[in-house]
Amino acid sequence: MSVYMGKLLYVDLTSETITDIPLDPQLADYYVGGKGFGAKILYDLLPANCEPLSPQNILMFLPGPLTGTLAPAMRGCVVTKSPLTGTFADSYFGGHFAQEIRFSGYDGFIITGAAPEPSYLWIDDGKVEICSAAEIWGLDTFSTVEKIRVKLGDVSVKTACIGPAGEKMVSFALINCEYNRHAGRAGTGAVMGSKNLKALVLRGSKAVTVADPANFGEAVDQAYLEVDEDETAAGFNTYGTPASIDFANAEQLLPTKNYYNGSFEGAAGLNAEAQSEHFWLRNVACAGCPIACGKVGMIKKGRRKGLITDVVEYETAAMIGSNLGISDVREVAYLVKKCDALGLDGMSAGGVAGFAIEAYQKGIITKDDTGGQELKFGDSASVEYLLDNITSREGLGNLLARGVKFASEEMGKGTDAYAVHIKGLESPAWGPRSVPGMALALATADRGGCHQRAFPILYEVGGEWNGEAVDRDTLKGKGEIVAHLQNYLAALDTLVKCDFAAYSIKDSTYCQMLEAATGNQWNVDKLMQLGERVWNQVKLFNLREGFSRTDDTLPRRFTEEPLPAGPQEGKKITLNDLDQLLDEYYQVRGWGNSGEPSPEKLKELGLDNMPTLVQVPAQYIETD
Amino acid sequence: MYYLRGEFDLCTGCGACQLACSNRATGGYSPRLARLKVFTEKENLVNRPLVCTQCENPFCMNSCFFDAISQVKETGLVFVDKEKCTGCGNCVAACPDEMIKLDSNKKADKCDMCEGLPEPLCVKYCIPRALKLILKKETGEVVAK
Repeated sequence: MSVYMGKLLYVDLTSETITDIPLDPQLADYYVGGKGFGAKILYDLLPANCEPLSPQNILMFLPGPLTGTLAPAMRGCVVTKSPLTGTFADSYFGGHFAQEIRFSGYDGFIITGAAPEPSYLWIDDGKVEICSAAEIWGLDTFSTVEKIRVKLGDVSVKTACIGPAGEKMVSFALINCEYNRHAGRAGTGAVMGSKNLKALVLRGSKAVTVADPANFGEAVDQAYLEVDEDETAAGFNTYGTPASIDFANAEQLLPTKNYYNGSFEGAAGLNAEAQSEHFWLRNVACAGCPIACGKVGMIKKGRRKGLITDVVEYETAAMIGSNLGISDVREVAYLVKKCDALGLDGMSAGGVAGFAIEAYQKGIITKDDTGGQELKFGDSASVEYLLDNITSREGLGNLLARGVKFASEEMGKGTDAYAVHIKGLESPAWGPRSVPGMALALATADRGGCHQRAFPILYEVGGEWNGEAVDRDTLKGKGEIVAHLQNYLAALDTLVKCDFAAYSIKDSTYCQMLEAATGNQWNVDKLMQLGERVWNQVKLFNLREGFSRTDDTLPRRFTEEPLPAGPQEGKKITLNDLDQLLDEYYQVRGWGNSGEPSPEKLKELGLDNMPTLVQVPAQYIETD
Repeated sequence: MYYLRGEFDLCTGCGACQLACSNRATGGYSPRLARLKVFTEKENLVNRPLVCTQCENPFCMNSCFFDAISQVKETGLVFVDKEKCTGCGNCVAACPDEMIKLDSNKKADKCDMCEGLPEPLCVKYCIPRALKLILKKETGEVVAK
């Protein structure tokens, strides 16, 4: 008995045909699940230079082998080619949807083609139907979930859906995995919209079984114990992610007014205390998670009174709060919920709005472009206008809907000086000018500007590496830290772990759970090699798409403009600094000067003769 | 006399209770096979656990035509004798909370409070303490686990 369900679902929406692909044992052994499956399958199935919003692109929903078991805090990911970056994109989601994929009897969904009419997929205990979405097309994400539940007469179905932004293929549209949990980044919702696919609705009662129940139970209890005893987990349980507002503000890492600065005078209005005072009622958790970092509630007073909202996560509190100069968390909660409802990634939306407001301040965008609407920092009406304008894709909104990279290239006039993105993905809420390791992590993240592939800030700001204190400003040694973290997190993203649980649960405990679940032997060395294999597999995809060392770079705001007044005043990461960081990093990785893995490295990782493991089922290949 | 209580104000909706329960009941993890439920209400503002409370006047037991369901006087546990159960489904129709159903062998199946274990597994894995094992005494009720 194995923990795998033994098959992947393959749906071609163009021909409206549906089939199961048996899970190749080699795929399970070498890539495990989640990000690993996504990296290999995208490489195998997608032709080079495929247009992301064309029917040929594939959209995958991938849980991991531990998802759906009692192993704490496991999730799923969406993998596709991003319309925002053109790179491999993996976007992770909590909630309960990934578990339901397994209870439906699958180890993942592979969706390609485009439906002729708006459609949704209804997968009821393994029975798959493509249904008309005529009744739900155009609805926001909250209404979509509600309407589906009413239509099916079952509140227990699990839904992943897009909002109007996904339907309109806004490049940073998200996929909502009810409630308040999203595959948020890199435009997965736009790909879903391009396929005329409004939603996937699941109801499953298949059981996930493990190879060695007794040892699995022990490993799970060990993981629960590690979460219980860990102070970081306790912090997430009490304060959620907005606890980071105070830390980032003190360290001048908090994006403020389109990353002009790293600290914000109104930060106290956004932090955990402010949120708790204004609306928190209880803790909320994703499936099988003992941490419960969510803090759902209802706003108590003011013009947003009665609004039900989950915690405003650190990333959106920063990107739509401090980055847009807004200090009232109730307004930020309202705007973030609006993003969720429209189906916009709040992080990218904050980046795009910050760019637009700065361009307005500099006279590049004028009232002629905004229908008379003034755009200014600290004004939620400006942001609300932009969110609606972007979603409707009218005028200026149509430009901004493609993200800051595209908008800046179209607008010209020096706007690239403050277009804050990496490979096209709006940068996350960790300004890197005073933390070179983080700068390197952002420059080399596989999907573009992302803090979740490695987060060396934890080591650079008062941390230790291999028993020695890490100097914040030093460049040397940061490449090793970043490569190690990327490998480790890529390994855990095959499971698919939650970032926060991974602070508490030990590497050896993850191995114990994986070993007992799969029946295959696992140890930490093998886990690290898995991560390195997956990271290199993704690199092979991005190289094939034409990305090279010149793309592993940072926006001009971080390389040219020093941080203004504050504890880290004057700091920036010059292009020369970045070169030094990249040299060491590429060397540690065994990559050539353009970032191509050496033949020795590919051989070491078992990637030199790796065959195609997933093929388009034969009946879909046109033979005329 | 013991019974399980679920509290919406503490429940985080993680569903670990259902995973642990289903694994004991069926040998695999699957919330829909668990002997308790967790509902989501109001845009997830509320998660409401629903458990078998081992009723004082059990409709399931009273509706059984074959004496297959009985109650242990000392503990209050309402349990199914699967040998006697004919799978007629009377009990399933009688319970308004759908806390009893037919298992894969067409026998009535319900929460047995993990009899014999130090504490019910749903309580063990409920980190937020939304599920509690309550001991009913003549003098009142106390939280036993």
